[in-house]
Amino acid sequence: MTTTPATRGRKIAYALLLTVVCLLVLVPFVWMISSSLKHDNQVFTVPTQWVPREFVWSNYADIWTRIPMLSYLRNSAFLAITISLLQVLTGSFAAYGFAKLRFPGRDWLFLAYLATIAVPWQAYMIPQYLIMEKLGLVNTHLSIILLQAFGAFGVFLMRQYYQSIPDELIEAARIDGLNEYRIWARIMLPLSRPAIASLGLLTFVTTWNDYMGPFIYFTSNELWTVQLGLRSFVGQFDAAYAMIMTGSVISVLPVVLVFLLGQRQFIQGIATSGLKG
Amino acid sequence: MVISTEPAVPAMRTRRPPAPATRARRRTLRSILTGWSFILPNFLGFALLTLVPMVFGLALSFMDWSPWTDEPEWVGLENFERMFRNSTFWIALGNTVYYAVGHIPLTMAVALGLALLLNRSLAGLGFFRTAFFLPYVTSLVAVAVVWNMLFNPTSGPINQFLLALGVDDPPGWTSSTAWAMPAVIVASVWRDMGYYMVLFLAGLQTIPTELYEAAKVDGANAWQRFWNITLPGLRPTTFFVLIMCTVASFKIFDLIVVMTDGGPGRATIVLSQLIYLQGIQEGRFGFASAISLVLFVLVAGFTVLQFQLQRRREAR
Amino acid sequence: MKRYPSALAAIATAAAVALAGCSSPATAPADPSGPVTLTVSAWNLESTPEFRALFDAFEAVHPNVTIQPVEILAEDYPEKVATMLAGGDTTDVLTMKNVTDYARYASRGQLLDLTDLVGELPTDKMAGLEPFDIGGKYAAVPYRQDFWLLYYNKKLFDAAGLPHPDQLTWAQYGELAKKLTSGTTADGQKVYGTYHHTWRSVVQAIAAAQTGGDQLGGDYGFMKSQYELALDLQRSGAALDYGTARTQQVNYRSMFETGQTAMLPMGTWYIASIKAAIASGKSSVDWGVAPMPQLAPGAGTTTFGSPTAFAVNEKAKNAEVAKEFVRFAAGEQGAKAIAAIGVVPAFRSDAVTAAFTALPSDELSKKAFTEDKKIVLEMPVSETTSDVDTILTEEHSLIMTGEKPVDDGLREAGDRVKNEVR
Repeated sequence: MTTTPATRGRKIAYALLLTVVCLLVLVPFVWMISSSLKHDNQVFTVPTQWVPREFVWSNYADIWTRIPMLSYLRNSAFLAITISLLQVLTGSFAAYGFAKLRFPGRDWLFLAYLATIAVPWQAYMIPQYLIMEKLGLVNTHLSIILLQAFGAFGVFLMRQYYQSIPDELIEAARIDGLNEYRIWARIMLPLSRPAIASLGLLTFVTTWNDYMGPFIYFTSNELWTVQLGLRSFVGQFDAAYAMIMTGSVISVLPVVLVFLLGQRQFIQGIATSGLKG
Repeated sequence: MVISTEPAVPAMRTRRPPAPATRARRRTLRSILTGWSFILPNFLGFALLTLVPMVFGLALSFMDWSPWTDEPEWVGLENFERMFRNSTFWIALGNTVYYAVGHIPLTMAVALGLALLLNRSLAGLGFFRTAFFLPYVTSLVAVAVVWNMLFNPTSGPINQFLLALGVDDPPGWTSSTAWAMPAVIVASVWRDMGYYMVLFLAGLQTIPTELYEAAKVDGANAWQRFWNITLPGLRPTTFFVLIMCTVASFKIFDLIVVMTDGGPGRATIVLSQLIYLQGIQEGRFGFASAISLVLFVLVAGFTVLQFQLQRRREAR
Repeated sequence: MKRYPSALAAIATAAAVALAGCSSPATAPADPSGPVTLTVSAWNLESTPEFRALFDAFEAVHPNVTIQPVEILAEDYPEKVATMLAGGDTTDVLTMKNVTDYARYASRGQLLDLTDLVGELPTDKMAGLEPFDIGGKYAAVPYRQDFWLLYYNKKLFDAAGLPHPDQLTWAQYGELAKKLTSGTTADGQKVYGTYHHTWRSVVQAIAAAQTGGDQLGGDYGFMKSQYELALDLQRSGAALDYGTARTQQVNYRSMFETGQTAMLPMGTWYIASIKAAIASGKSSVDWGVAPMPQLAPGAGTTTFGSPTAFAVNEKAKNAEVAKEFVRFAAGEQGAKAIAAIGVVPAFRSDAVTAAFTALPSDELSKKAFTEDKKIVLEMPVSETTSDVDTILTEEHSLIMTGEKPVDDGLREAGDRVKNEVR
């Protein structure tokens, strides 16, 4: 292959464009990380200092004693993992029913699931809260777990993916004498790894980043999640700009890690669920 | 096809050969039982904690009720009359539409742009993909704090940059009524674009490369190729993204609450926030439910409209 | 530092309570000496030391009671408590952050009737009780009675060669603020002449108190001159502008404690916080208090204030102990405990005054604190209070960000109050 100056120029232009766009997108992160390594009074300076004059690594050591960050992280992780597991399990189970089994009333039921996606949570937040209270679950982690684990979105996403799996595969399994539960466990689950990754990751992210749910349901401070802790920190120590950014960075890290681990599967899954079906 | 036109299709596709009546009935019973056994675990939680509260909320919009008054009282359309007289409702409605109209096209354009940038097979693109997706997984509280600091009218980097460019009087962003909503939209586009970018990327990969090769041979330039191959090829994706983005836009809540809390004045108050304020803070659950009903009708209406348009386009 | 009781300890306590219940079923529920965990709603524990002081004092007198604070972020406090109560939360004691919220909860029947309890108290010694009177009944008892003062930074005044701000008029206050705006702190932050926090009361309540205007009335011309002063100060750079203060969630405490402002109109609750900040070495501000500036010289001092009270949740788990706590906090013992850390108690007696040692020893501070003055309630209580409050807050932010001229903003506020509030 020969490269003409024109194509080489185009390639350089492309790389440049990509880099510039990427920098623009990452500006808030750069700023966040840079601020987290400064002293409070150096966060706002004119002109903006993108590289701290002096790296204050101690922010990352101090935050653990300043607020119970570890306990917040533990609560958030517990909720996010439990909810993701439950959501994937019940969601894929129900999705199999919706995608691969035929029975009267199925389509109406699915329509009901779909319609709820369009309703804002604020609309039924209060009746929901009252039910939770009757069950005696307010101010327990279980309330948020129950609230998030049976979402319609999970069923929808898994069903979309299952629709992309050919019916013939299942028919063949049926002829081989497998019952529906085994088909789900032996064939569908292994085949839907990308969808499981997407749903799991999306649920994890949503739960991790949820603010209103925990705000309304958790009263005791030992139940608090990272988001509640962070917001409370911002409210109480407004001038601790650097420390606020340190907290923000720490709150984002676990999610980024989870994303990096599951990224390939995730994108594949999200793509298939969103487009076929 | 996606979403709600879907359910009707497979039912028609799968007409079975006729069978003796009793056997069919037994089979139906069994299929109902099996079907439900799959759906039940999820449905129990879903029905108790989503469906029932939703229906209850719907009924509440015709009632006057607070949890501390004992009996809900049927008031017919009174809540709606009050709502239409309430100036904050109209402002919130206007702001919600403003947000949606700004957020939907911008997010879709940026997401598509990013997807086009990344739609090549080159080493190292995985890094960029991750970078563009990062904002979506970032916590909202952090997003709000960072953007508020970036938008700081006096010492924030954005206005410093504008000043350096020679803009004498940069906007007050979240502290000005005119610029607060644009500021929120910018932050929300930044946050959401990664998610839709992934969808577009997947869509792009379904378009056969031979089409592009052929167009090149025919002498089509990049713009023509984009217009005549990429866009039509992406139509199902675009439609799906449009629906998801619309639903999410109309429901916007968290970002506004943590970024501007509806202010200054009522410049960024949106419907879901008004529902929250009236319901939780003022304890007017009937009134709040009436607003939710309007919001639901709005979202559902838009979605149905988009489906109709899509169907007409397909029929053409 | 905040303390977070581990879940284990909570379970142990709960188990202990349950066991105690089992061993003596006949007396357990009413047994005043059995171990009890009393839950009390509170905000920002670290910067509001009075809660800890009261809890410690109460636990010392009642060794069987462990108080477990339910901490809520101050800004979210009304919303959160409203949500908790809507769902039938069983927190025993609820702190009433202001009278408006009290009226809301009480009218919904979410608070236990404390009329009998109030009858047993020496009400002649208690300030701030009237706003809690709803048709002759009480559902909360005040333990704190705050009023607004002018805090000032002595060092900045002395450095500028200006006399301390005794009996100012608002016009003098404005001039002073401009003169005091100069230079930067050691950290390189700008020093402002004064700081007006973003609350609407800073402008509106003081205007209402001093002109006799009615905040619920719908005719807000009386606020005009106060707004013009506030806007003039921020335009001239003598006060941090409202927009920045709001979007950055600026805290008045850090403004004053780091020497970024020479003056600060604020409530008396802040005395305890400054004291705590200095004691812990976080701040070294040399501070004093002066009477609020007035409209005209020589007409005595008028300011505004509001009481803070404890109420018992209608659904309290430990209603009797909760009542005992309310009685304790409102009485002399509670008053002494909070006076000792610099919080102004509602209960007045010589012993309490003697315990109040947090004030700087200069004459001006003493005078500002003890002089005879008229204290007007921050916001009148009625059914329309919360709706009017929302409207006034919204219009306040529009006027302060310069989005609406003062006259337009006030007219709009009036129109909305007249047309939309029922």
